[in-house]
Amino acid sequence: MRGKDVRLDQVSIRFGDSIAVQPLNLTIEAGEFFSILGPSGCGKTTILRTVSGFIEPTIGRVLIGGEDMAGKGPNERPTALIFQNLALFPLMSVAENVAFGLEARGVAKAERLKRAQELLELVALGGYGDKKPSDLSGGQRQRVAIARALAVEPSVLLLDEPLSALDLKLRQHMRAELRAIQKRVGITFIYITHDQGEALAMSDRVAVMSRGRLEQVAAPDTLYAEPATPFVATFVGEQNVIRGTLRRISNGAASVDTPLGPIEGREVGTPAIGAPVLVMVRPERMTLGATRDNSIPVTLKARHLEGPSVNLECVTGGQTLTVTLANGPAMRELPSDLVLGFGREDARVYAEGALAHG
Amino acid sequence: MASLFRAYGRGLGVLLLAIAALWILALIVVPLGAMIEQSLWWKDSKGDITLQIDRLYNDMATLQLDAAGETDAARKAGFEAQIAQKQALATELEAQETNPPKTYGLANFTRMSALHFYIFVRTIFYALMVTALALVVCYPMAYAVALASGPRKAIVLTVALIVPYAINELLRVYAWLMILDYRGVINGILAWLGMVDLDNRGWIPFLENPSAVFLAMIYTYVLFMVFPMVNTLETLDRNQIEAARDLGASSFRIHRRVIIPHAKPGIAVGCIMTFMLSAGSYSVPAIMTRGQGGDWFSQLVYRQFYESNNWNMGSAYAVSLLVVCTAFILIMMRLFGVGLRDIAK
Repeated sequence: MRGKDVRLDQVSIRFGDSIAVQPLNLTIEAGEFFSILGPSGCGKTTILRTVSGFIEPTIGRVLIGGEDMAGKGPNERPTALIFQNLALFPLMSVAENVAFGLEARGVAKAERLKRAQELLELVALGGYGDKKPSDLSGGQRQRVAIARALAVEPSVLLLDEPLSALDLKLRQHMRAELRAIQKRVGITFIYITHDQGEALAMSDRVAVMSRGRLEQVAAPDTLYAEPATPFVATFVGEQNVIRGTLRRISNGAASVDTPLGPIEGREVGTPAIGAPVLVMVRPERMTLGATRDNSIPVTLKARHLEGPSVNLECVTGGQTLTVTLANGPAMRELPSDLVLGFGREDARVYAEGALAHG
Repeated sequence: MASLFRAYGRGLGVLLLAIAALWILALIVVPLGAMIEQSLWWKDSKGDITLQIDRLYNDMATLQLDAAGETDAARKAGFEAQIAQKQALATELEAQETNPPKTYGLANFTRMSALHFYIFVRTIFYALMVTALALVVCYPMAYAVALASGPRKAIVLTVALIVPYAINELLRVYAWLMILDYRGVINGILAWLGMVDLDNRGWIPFLENPSAVFLAMIYTYVLFMVFPMVNTLETLDRNQIEAARDLGASSFRIHRRVIIPHAKPGIAVGCIMTFMLSAGSYSVPAIMTRGQGGDWFSQLVYRQFYESNNWNMGSAYAVSLLVVCTAFILIMMRLFGVGLRDIAK
């Protein structure tokens, strides 16, 4: 199996009057584990169905391995789709399910069952061929769906939130498993999810979408550390958001007037002087005690123990700030008056924009 | 039963059981029992009994003449005794004539004439044909209705299925009669096109062909085929169709491997209903053929009851039909690999 690259060239999709996907360009490299992350209704599933051929783009082209897919149905594309509910055939045995794609291609029965057996072994379900899908656990069904999709030797595997039906433990286990399978077979994976943990844990690169638009495409580390927009900043991970007015910019360093006092940060994009801005600081980038760059005196309101870490919920000037700190003896007895500090590099200043959570 | 009492209490439990018992009694046991009982006996009205009585009265008249002319008292008494004996026999035979004794046995079932047996077999065959044709016609229809969604579905359902069924069955059959008649709609159109000559009876005799009955019957019972199929097809996860397509399957294979297996219980129910209704249909063949096509078995049953006035024979015919239809149901269920449980769903 060889992966192929997928290119969306000025693709835009409308359903009647509503625009599901704004015109966008996106290139997914061959052999890449690529995730599309976004809240429900952001257009990520529409993109997936466009790549798989169930939807034709209203405008633009879809190219797979450099070949234009216009007019090609789902059964003519080198893609295989794993559905959110898996859509296993309940009346067929597990082996028949896996062999179905080969059956459709006219492969002889003995040959396709042999191939199905190999694939079931690949996903560690060697002895389950004769069972019905309903006899299997959620995680096992998941792997059957993967084996069934891999049986047709696709160049691109499309996954539509396939883990969402599983419980947390299994989901975390399946993340590692999916990543391992992708490494083994080496084909392109396009993975749709609204779960940032999944996207960050598995992907080579992640695209964040909101309201039919691409917000940012980046490697998981970059996405987390350097979110490009207020939406990405608040959708991926936690943020303390402080509203303010931009006073001065010099060399990328921004000074912002806020109700909590002046804050020194780093500008992202090009907010205008005097314009309203959003200062974002991740809870784990804040520390107790004043720093050279920024210090905010606060009152401790609540302490939430997470185990290895502690979340402190603090208030100042009618605003709640959250700090995440490593747990330790010092965290057991805290005074109610604290000073929070954070570096200039940890405060990112964005022009006013849509946030992920209201 | 214990669980019923636990769930509903003693009073309500007894009431529920009583209702169930009444239901079974009124709908199954009594009518079926009466029919089977009726079919298992006949009245032994021997044809020559009247002749025997006539002979006895003849003999008695002769003996009376002999007795009247006889002078010897002893011989006269002998004649009188003979007359009394014959009179007693005649009275007994007369009683038998007016109220023949019931005899139980299977003769009603074995006495069917070759012609009637032929009609019986042909009716079963015709009913199978109607079922098969209805299945072919209804499957795409049911599929379209089941997969249509939103307002379009309501329109399709209403226009295609509900509206024709708001009309009485007889009217629908007569409508087809008018269409297919010698001077009906089709022959009229053909005459207008100059293809047939109605004045010289050059029409096409559609109604003399069994397919006219098939047509009207499919039209009459199509709903019973469509609805069970729509019901099961609606429960099909559409992702399965898309998954099959995505895996490269042709439409034919998707139907054969994914959709039809899923719809099997609905198909089985539809086939059973259509078969039962068409095998037992009286009005459609009676109206459509008007005696010009072959009879259906249901017409024979009707005639046994109301023209031959032989209810026993009629019951036997009806029971035979019932047995064959039941066998058909069991075969269908075996063939489709569905149990009663699936059908109940």
